[in-house]
Amino acid sequence: MSSADDDKVLIIPCSGIGKAFGSVGREATYVVVDDMRPGETDTLCLSLLTLGDEEAKERVRGHPVITIDGCPKACAEVNVKSAGGRSAANLKVVDTYREHPDLKVQAVLDLGEPGRKLAAFLAEKVVAEVDALKDKEDEADG
Amino acid sequence: MVDLPQKKVGIIACSGEEIPEGTISRVAARKVLDCLMPGETVTLCLPLFLAGDEKERAFAKSYPTIAVDGCGKLCAKRATEKYSGAVSGSIVVDKFLEERDLSPGSSRRALDEEGQQAVTVVAEEIAQQVAHLLGSRSDTQRAPQPSDATAGGATCCGGPTIPITRVKIGGASVGLLALEPVFEQMYQQGHRDGAGVDEEILKAVRVYNFVPTSVEQSYKETLLKQYQKFCRDREG
Repeated sequence: MSSADDDKVLIIPCSGIGKAFGSVGREATYVVVDDMRPGETDTLCLSLLTLGDEEAKERVRGHPVITIDGCPKACAEVNVKSAGGRSAANLKVVDTYREHPDLKVQAVLDLGEPGRKLAAFLAEKVVAEVDALKDKEDEADG
Repeated sequence: MVDLPQKKVGIIACSGEEIPEGTISRVAARKVLDCLMPGETVTLCLPLFLAGDEKERAFAKSYPTIAVDGCGKLCAKRATEKYSGAVSGSIVVDKFLEERDLSPGSSRRALDEEGQQAVTVVAEEIAQQVAHLLGSRSDTQRAPQPSDATAGGATCCGGPTIPITRVKIGGASVGLLALEPVFEQMYQQGHRDGAGVDEEILKAVRVYNFVPTSVEQSYKETLLKQYQKFCRDREG
């Protein structure tokens, strides 16, 4: 892990392959990491944590983590916890969907325009959590 | 007559978020599930092996499984084998593409033209492995339906539940897939307590379960007793 990576917030989605909400969480992660907060955030393969990869475990233990889950099984949150990390925030795709019930996701592979909008709304929530974490860090640094 | 569906192949993709090959594994797996081999394949979210329960962890015992990994860390293959059971096939996307002089493209988010081409060839390879697994199991193409008299089940995101019944064989508790539907089918076919029934039961049970030759006799004796009890219960 490079020193430039030290204070990044890790955004870890479940990327569930069986349900479209898994894809919404994955897309929201890329919106945040690539577009909205590049340089301040990064992502990590959740499958590495499932496998118990030491380097991946070290990363989640050493960084603030925000998890995104597509279903009640909460795979992202559970796997982070199992790796010894802690989700500073866990966002459920369904909560954002409840706020925007008109945004029906098309399919797992093709979210469609409504699905992408849903991911954008979710990404805004993630960014709010990232900013709150950064503010706390700044306060702690004095 | 019990209607017997076709046995399916499980596909576990790493879906790695950090690299294009992870996205290729995910999209290729879904293409096989949705387009190339619908009805013959099922999947399970990889992180569910850790977050899920015994039913989810039984996935690779319920289905011959193909692991699709984006890189040499082999998360899908190794996690499946760690939590669920041995895989029947494995594809490592970065190596697979390199061997064919293909590029994964540059985006992990929205696959570009190269990424889409990679998805096509990886999906075709998965489909070939699925066809091979189903073909080599031609004697198992018709498998029993679940009934409600079961002790558990093996589930997946997209497929039906295959019931698991625990039976004591040779002093050990063994989880057998589809035992109740096998009994139901044999009962409806008119098999009762005659010669060769134990052979017939074992043959049908082997469709879904590995039975070591060394314990074949114990299986036959135990399963026959179980079937006799099943018949008595059915006949009141």
